[in-house]
Amino acid sequence: MSETRAQLRESDAALIEKMVRRDETALEALYDRYAVMLTSVLIRILRDSQAAEEILQDIFYQLWRTASQFDASRGSLPGWLLVIARNRAISRLRHRNPAAGDELVENTLAMPFNLESVISQQQLLGRIKSVLADLPAEQRAAVELAYFEGLTHSEIAQRTGDPLGTVKTRLRSALETIKRAVHP
Amino acid sequence: MNGHPTREEDFDLFALGALDREEREAIESHVVACSACARKVAEAHGRMALLAFAAPRVEPSPERKDSLMRQVRARARDKARTQAAGEPGLFGRWWAAVLVPVGVVLTLVTIFLWTENRRLDQELASLRTDMRQRQEQVQTARAIAELMAAPDTNVVALTPMPGMPKGAARVVYNARMGMLVYDGQLESAPAQKSYQLWLVPRNGQPISAGVFTSASGETSNWMIKLPRGITPIAFAVTLEPAGGMPQPTGPKVLVGPVS
Repeated sequence: MSETRAQLRESDAALIEKMVRRDETALEALYDRYAVMLTSVLIRILRDSQAAEEILQDIFYQLWRTASQFDASRGSLPGWLLVIARNRAISRLRHRNPAAGDELVENTLAMPFNLESVISQQQLLGRIKSVLADLPAEQRAAVELAYFEGLTHSEIAQRTGDPLGTVKTRLRSALETIKRAVHP
Repeated sequence: MNGHPTREEDFDLFALGALDREEREAIESHVVACSACARKVAEAHGRMALLAFAAPRVEPSPERKDSLMRQVRARARDKARTQAAGEPGLFGRWWAAVLVPVGVVLTLVTIFLWTENRRLDQELASLRTDMRQRQEQVQTARAIAELMAAPDTNVVALTPMPGMPKGAARVVYNARMGMLVYDGQLESAPAQKSYQLWLVPRNGQPISAGVFTSASGETSNWMIKLPRGITPIAFAVTLEPAGGMPQPTGPKVLVGPVS
């Protein structure tokens, strides 16, 4: 899976424009750009590669069908793809009905990094892993339960058996650390 | 929540989905009206999305991309087919120009005929009922005429008993024909009571010949068929519980012996 040199030069916005004009090569380019990033998070949440790839395909198929609705001013494409992927995976994990189709226009998202190149994605991967690795184990566990399993404070406290106040403190501390670390 | 979230991490917790329902809804309702906090929520969404990079890197199977592209092409083919079906050629348009108005006219004619047919059916049913009623009336009139003309028909006058409601009646009866006509006038029956006409035979129990309540000042009349060959010694009207009784139980109101 690799983008051609020409595709590498094209921004997400330009590729979205092409998709609106029903250019399939634009969809392929965006798939090549973001499929690994999304597959990784989907499999981490679902621990089921078949289910993860079904959601992956659904997301790109939806992107193809609703490309004209995407508003770049409301957030970066990879940011939204990550939000959608996580929401859908957690919905499936918890047997909920995902609100498919609405995620692209629901909220605004400000991504602090440009993820349009695979290189920047790899750099970020290393950076996030490093930040999380440096967190105390309980804080890291709390963040992972919240992000990858979609648990709330109370649910984490119930799962771990820790007091609710302790869980809140751990999450707040962890998020503060992450914020400082990823601040561009 | 009326003011801004008290701690900066609240935005990250909100974007992470870690807040419990009440806290989450408070921020949701606040950011609708607060652009500064809405911007912080947007930044938090972006920041939290980066946590995806904590997941180990996994590539999708190569077949997945092929499957996606097949799905996209299949959709394009379906769309093209649908458009082709919706856009007929010159020949198709010529026929459509003729057939569509014809179809519309035929549909309207069918609806009109169906409605008219239904109306006629209802009218016919009403006429049949009317005709049946008229036939019954004719038969009754004919039967009464025969009854009145028959030489063996008795006309019995019924007179009121002392202390009973005032009134008078007559019974026209033919034992051979088994036919009886009552024609009388009585005060209204008391509440929960009915009048009942009886044929009192020479042998055996009285036979009921009609139950009525009467309205004061109005005439009651009817024709009834009874078993043939019963010779009466009298006719009587008694006051019975509402709806009548199998045998007389109440006081006699009108009595008419057969001479």
